[in-house]
Amino acid sequence: MRAPYAHEERAARIVAEPADAREVAELVRACETDGISLAAMGAARTLGEIRKTPVALGVSLNRMRRVIAYEPADMTVTVEGGVSVDELNRTMEPSGQRLPVDPQRPDLTCIGSLIAASHAGPLRLSEGTSRDLLIGIRYAGRGGKIVHGGGRVVKNVAGYDLMKVLGSSFGTLGIIVEATFKVRPVPEHYAMALARYDDAERTFEAARALNDLPLAHLEVLSPAAAESCGFDGKYVLLAGLSGSRSEVASQYAAAARMAPGARLIEKEDARAAYACLRDFDFLSQSLAARAAVAPAELASAMLAADAEFVAHAGSGVAELFLNRMPADVRATVARWREIARGRRGHLRVIHCDPEVRPSIELFDLPNSGAMGLMRRLKTAFDPAGIFNPGCFVGEI
Amino acid sequence: MRADGFSSAYGCDNFVFPFGRGGFRDRGIRSENPSIIARATAGANAVSAICCAIVHGVSADVIGIAATPLDSRLVDELAAIVGRDGIVSRPSELKVYECDGWTVEKNSPDLLVMPRTTEQVSAVLKALWRRGLPFVPRGAGTGLSGGALPVNAPVMICTSKMNHILAIDLANRRVEVESGVVNLHVTNAIKRDGFFYAPDPSSQQACTIGGNIAENSGGPHTLKYGVTTNHVMGLTLVLADGEVVELGGWAEERCGYDLVGAVVGAEGTAGIVTRAVLKIVREPEDHRTLLATFADVEAATRAVSAIIAAGIVPGAIEMMDQLIIRAVEDAFHAGLPADAGAVLIIELDGLVAGLDECAARVTEIARSAGASEVRLARDEAERAGLWKARKRAFGAVGRLAPNYATQDGVVPRTRLPDILRVIGAVSKKYHLAIGNVFHAGDGNIHPIILYDERKPEEVRAAVEAGREILAACVEMGGSLTGEHGIGVEKQGEMPLLFSPEDLIAMTELRRVFDPMERSNPNKVIPRPGSCVEVAAPRRQVPI
Ligand SMILES: Cc1cc2nc3c(=O)[nH]c(=O)nc-3n(C[C@H](O)[C@H](O)[C@H](O)COP(=O)(O)OP(=O)(O)OC[C@H]3O[C@@H](n4cnc5c(N)ncnc54)[C@H](O)[C@@H]3O)c2cc1C
Repeated sequence: MRAPYAHEERAARIVAEPADAREVAELVRACETDGISLAAMGAARTLGEIRKTPVALGVSLNRMRRVIAYEPADMTVTVEGGVSVDELNRTMEPSGQRLPVDPQRPDLTCIGSLIAASHAGPLRLSEGTSRDLLIGIRYAGRGGKIVHGGGRVVKNVAGYDLMKVLGSSFGTLGIIVEATFKVRPVPEHYAMALARYDDAERTFEAARALNDLPLAHLEVLSPAAAESCGFDGKYVLLAGLSGSRSEVASQYAAAARMAPGARLIEKEDARAAYACLRDFDFLSQSLAARAAVAPAELASAMLAADAEFVAHAGSGVAELFLNRMPADVRATVARWREIARGRRGHLRVIHCDPEVRPSIELFDLPNSGAMGLMRRLKTAFDPAGIFNPGCFVGEI
Repeated sequence: MRADGFSSAYGCDNFVFPFGRGGFRDRGIRSENPSIIARATAGANAVSAICCAIVHGVSADVIGIAATPLDSRLVDELAAIVGRDGIVSRPSELKVYECDGWTVEKNSPDLLVMPRTTEQVSAVLKALWRRGLPFVPRGAGTGLSGGALPVNAPVMICTSKMNHILAIDLANRRVEVESGVVNLHVTNAIKRDGFFYAPDPSSQQACTIGGNIAENSGGPHTLKYGVTTNHVMGLTLVLADGEVVELGGWAEERCGYDLVGAVVGAEGTAGIVTRAVLKIVREPEDHRTLLATFADVEAATRAVSAIIAAGIVPGAIEMMDQLIIRAVEDAFHAGLPADAGAVLIIELDGLVAGLDECAARVTEIARSAGASEVRLARDEAERAGLWKARKRAFGAVGRLAPNYATQDGVVPRTRLPDILRVIGAVSKKYHLAIGNVFHAGDGNIHPIILYDERKPEEVRAAVEAGREILAACVEMGGSLTGEHGIGVEKQGEMPLLFSPEDLIAMTELRRVFDPMERSNPNKVIPRPGSCVEVAAPRRQVPI
């Protein structure tokens, strides 16, 4: 037990650092008995954002960073919840493999929060998210019981899919102590095609054409986003090209046909540009939100929102942000939310000023039928209401 | 009765297991004799028993549902909802629905209802709810684990009349369908435009999207593209009490808990799915399809491991062993090397630019693993021929023996040689021929056990052999099922994989959707057996 570090203060009042799953389970049991709220945390970035008030006990998985089993030939890896995405990928690098989920700052993102907060980055277009790669899970749930779902093989339908249930549950159902993923080969080559445009419409138009290629990622950046990633000025389109040398060359040729003037960025430059893009810091903006809409309607959503953005064009997901606080934050969020809903989607605020946090619903509300089931799920998995209570959808 | 079942459950001596270990388990709805629920079975596996007991503990309130005899008022009420032509109640006609592709157990429903719309499904379920009647959903009945077998569920709800594709939206890469739409029809509707629906079970000419969702089905090409759960974005679900809920939608990210992910693979126990929004995929620029010939399955599995280890992600890697190759050749003259010990069909897809290079690498890898020949399909016709041979393999097997049972275990890919050795040994031990045709790239085996239903000892041996293979899969760090589901077939094996705590959590999850366990009761999670009669198995539907 220790006092929270400065960056954890918004997340938890006091922090425990259990050494293993058994200790996590004991903490859960103790909290349940005494009705104490608790939440798992990695770098406490997301938890700090979503909490209105800190939980009583933060469970840091900092000491649970073991890679339990890595089987390169089977392309699976089992790790404890506290391992960071970076650490994990370094372990696998000598075998030419990786977990191709690229959250912002993979060095700070631990596996538990990768899953629970479903962090993902540009590569979601080609590789999916942790949802698509998670094949087994172990968590400390109600009553301090360690429960596991799935397994260690890449294809498995035995039993109910607890991976999906714990994924994107934002710590409200239990504490993820272990996860198994299927992993992928690191592509031989990676490069980027970059095109600049004067207006958003033309940028998205080019993105639409490029989306027919099997790209690693396809991003559209508004001027402020482009600038802070080091690409000057206007709207920028960044298409990730990966594969063998000839595949990259052929993709680039096609990209240059569809987006005349597209420039090829290679090697170190490409990797640096990609890292910049992936690590774009929304949390240092004044207000930031993630919209997910029907993919073809992302362009019109961005045009309507009147905000800066990083748009994952093929996936229909985008981060919107403002680097100056709007006069009426609630009204801005409400407007953005309407824009997303009008395009068969929804919007989640990922960052706002701590002062306005209590007056803002960070999570969009699902329809009432779905919400009813979600409340039932929460009650079934957390009858005592101790797991990160009060800040997820519908104040769950 | 309920209390009895419960306490005796804790005594661990009153479990009727799916046949095999504990003798044939009797199921079905026809028993009016409650004592059967607490029937003692010799030799019950203790772990299973304890597990059942605990799960039974959480579900003590629902175990006691006894089927209420159907009255004619109910039939009239349902007919008023779906029309007379949407009802089947004559026993002779109901016989068609007595089993799915798992033909070892049979039990006709008392009534079959075929609604046309979500609203009708809702109204039907409300009528059943008021009477406390459980039901079993059914798509095309191609399931291989007895998912659509009525077990204490007198009414079957079939989606065959809900077979419309509602929207094709290429720009958004989404298709919205009713759940009774046949899998292949989705791809057929978008093929012209250069798209396909990736999950492609070998039964895709018959099986429905609703069945795929329930089983989280896979297929040869799911190695690269992912299984059903990776392609279902939204669902319309009718809960057992008739409430209609919309889950997920068109966007990639979910809003709140991932309930779509929980319903996919729930084997029909969460309610009836009536509609789905599916993600579709751009056809790759081109394919290279290779047929590699090996002297034995060992060498072929070595090649599989080596290809994967080389960082190549093929669209598909499928294996057929000698028995299957011969069967396919005899039946269809597909041009497979009839004297080969094993073949691999390896499909590479993607940009034209990388394909030949990749095909050359795969060829080399296969050769060094011992392939005597690696043949590249020269054109689309040859490619289609190879896939046809693969997908009709089950049908061909139908010619070899009066009956067969298909297993669906998974092992880590590197353990394929080991599990194939086990299968060989099991085949010898039980004097049963076993063929292998499977998704090698995923480590997902499908031993096909041949038997003759007219010989009871062979039936028993076939079931035992299947269990032995599955237990070996689990021992190797694998799973009981990669795509066919637990159903009733593998319920008894669940404790090999999951602890009582795991099973309790899963039961709790199911009850979020269906607190009274009225939708497809007595599936997936092991529980004390109930009721009567196991009919003799019969021929499996060849597709
Ligand atoms: C020859 C052959 C080859 C096969 N190959 C493969 C393969 O390659 N990969 C694979 O994964 N499977 C395969 N299967 C298994 C089977 O085809 C799949 O499980 C398929 O998804 C079942 O679909 P169905 O429409 O026939 O469903 P059914 O058999 O009718 O039902 C299956 C389950 O789904 C439930 N269900 C059906 N519709 C709904 C609904 N609308 N809402 C809720 N629950 C519902 C039922 O209650 C049942 O539990 C094969 C089967 C055969 C016979």
